[in-house]
Amino acid sequence: MVILQARRVTKHFGGLAAVSMVDFDLREGEILGLIGPNGSGKTTLVNVITGMLPYTDGKVQFKSQTIQGLQAHEIGQLGLTRTFQVVKPFRNLTVLQNVMVGALFGARGGARDLASAHRKAEEVLEFVGLAHKAHAQAESLGVPERKRIELARALAMRPTLLFLDEVMAGLNPSEIDEAVELIKRIRDRGITLVVIEHVMKAIRKLSDRIMVLFHGEKLTEGLPDEVLNNSAVVSAYLGRRYAEQAHA
Amino acid sequence: MSTKRWVPLLAGLGIVLVLAAGPKVVSPFILQFLINLFMMAILAESWNLIAGFTGYASFGNAAFFGIGAYTTGVLLTRAGWPFALALPAGGILAMLFGVAVGMPVLRLKGQYFAIATLGIGETMREVVYNVEITGAGTGLVMPILRSPLTFFYVMLGILVAVTLVNWWVSESRFGYGLIAIREDEDAAAAMGINTPYYKTIAFALSAAFAGLAGGVYAYWITFIDPDAVFRMTTTIQMIIMAVFGGSGTVLGPLLGALVLSSVSEMLATQLATLADLFYGVIIVLVVLFMPKGLSDLIRQRVFSLKYFARNLREYRI
Repeated sequence: MVILQARRVTKHFGGLAAVSMVDFDLREGEILGLIGPNGSGKTTLVNVITGMLPYTDGKVQFKSQTIQGLQAHEIGQLGLTRTFQVVKPFRNLTVLQNVMVGALFGARGGARDLASAHRKAEEVLEFVGLAHKAHAQAESLGVPERKRIELARALAMRPTLLFLDEVMAGLNPSEIDEAVELIKRIRDRGITLVVIEHVMKAIRKLSDRIMVLFHGEKLTEGLPDEVLNNSAVVSAYLGRRYAEQAHA
Repeated sequence: MSTKRWVPLLAGLGIVLVLAAGPKVVSPFILQFLINLFMMAILAESWNLIAGFTGYASFGNAAFFGIGAYTTGVLLTRAGWPFALALPAGGILAMLFGVAVGMPVLRLKGQYFAIATLGIGETMREVVYNVEITGAGTGLVMPILRSPLTFFYVMLGILVAVTLVNWWVSESRFGYGLIAIREDEDAAAAMGINTPYYKTIAFALSAAFAGLAGGVYAYWITFIDPDAVFRMTTTIQMIIMAVFGGSGTVLGPLLGALVLSSVSEMLATQLATLADLFYGVIIVLVVLFMPKGLSDLIRQRVFSLKYFARNLREYRI
C-alpha cells in the first residue's frame, strides 16, 4: 500500500530551484534511502513535505489525505515526523523531558497527561538505548547522544512515517552499526522510513530502495545495488572523470 | 514525584494564610508597601508566562497594565460601575488586546519581538493622551475608597491566582508546549505543537494579569494619567524582578519581587535617585553572574564564588 505520494514537488529560493518536479511514492513499511551530494535538495525536500517551508508547486498525499499547505504541527499530528540534520534538542530540559514533549504532542490520540507521557518517554529511551541518560540535561550530551534524543523524540510522537535527516553524521563506525540496527528495529515496529545519509555502507545495508537527488531533480530511483553502481550516480557524487575511470 | 509536586503548593497556602492575617497587626506604611510588593510580584509573574516559559521577552507589558488601569478607571468614574465589575472588565480588555496584538507580533522573534512590543507600550500612552473619555493628558480621578485592606486582599488574591497559573503551566501539557517553543520553536512545531495558538494563549494570560494589577492600582492610587500607568519603567521593573529571581520558574519572580522591592524601598527612603541606580547595577550583575536567577542559586546550594565564576564562563558570548 502506498503511504505517501509526492508529485511535482518544487521549491524555488528566488531564482534557485532547490527542489524541482520531484515525484516519488513510499510503500508502507519500507525504508527508502535518500541520497545526493551536498546541496542537492534532500533536506529542502523534507522541509517542504513536513510543512516547515511553503511549496512553490506540487501535490503530496499522505495516507490518501492531501497535506501540501498544511502547517508543520498539523502534519506532525497526522503521524508524519522528521528529525533535524542540525539537531534541535530542548537544551534546558532533561533527556526524559525532551522525549516527553514528543509523547505529549505528536500524532493524535497519544499521551495527554504527564504521567502517561513519562511512561511512554521511558519506554522509548529504553528502546533507543538512552535510558541511563534520562535525567541528564540535553545540553550536557555530545553529538551522538543528541542525535539519539532527536530519534527518541520522533519515536515518542508515535509516527507512521519518519524522515531521518542524517542521524548518522558524525558517528564512528561502531556507532553507525548500532544506528543501522536501531533503524531496522524501528521499521520492525511498523514505521515507514525515509533515511537521508551520506554513509553509503549504511545506506546499502538499510534501504529497500534508494532515490538519488542531484541539483534538486530526481536522478534515479531503484534497488540499492542498481542505484549505487549507476554511473550517473557515481559521477554526480565524485565527478565525471572518476566515473569514466571506474568504468574503463 | 506526585506528592513532591504538592509541597510548594501547601507551603504557598501557608504563607498566604499568614499574609491574610497579617494586615491586622502591621503599620499603614508596611501595608502600603505590601500592596505595592504584591502588585510588582503579579507583574513579574505575568511577564514570566510569556517570557520565562514561552521565551518571548516582551518589553511592552506596561501597555496591558495601563489598559487595565484605564478600563477600570473609566468604568468606575464615567459609567459608575462597581469595582467588582470594573476590575474584571479591565483584565478582560487587556487580555483581548493581548490576543489582538499578539497574533501579529508573536510572529516576530528575539530582538524584533522585543522592539515591536516596546513600540506597543509607547504607542498606547500616546493613544490615551489623545482620547477624550480617558481624560486625555489631565488624567482620571477615582472615587476614594478608604480601605487599604480591600486593596491588600484583592492584590493578594490576584497574586495567588497568577502564581497558581504559573504553577499549572510548569506541571501541565500546555506548559511543556510553551517550554518547547522557548527552547526551539521549529522543533516544537515539527513535534505537533500548534505554536501560534500556544504563544497567543500565553500572551493573553500574561496580559490579563497585568491588566488586573493595573485595575487595582488605579483605584488604590486614586489618580492616573498616561505617564503614570504606561511607563517603560514598569516593564523594566517586572523584567528585572523576574530575571533576578529566576525566570521560567514558578517562585523565582515572587522571590525577585520580594527582594528587590524591599531593597529598593529601603534605598528610596534614604535617597530617591539611589533606587534607580540600584536597578541599573542589579541588571548588569545578574546578567553577568547569575543569569538563571536567585532561585537557581538557592537550588544549586553552592554559596561560593565558584557559582558566579562558572556562570560568567558558561554564558559569555
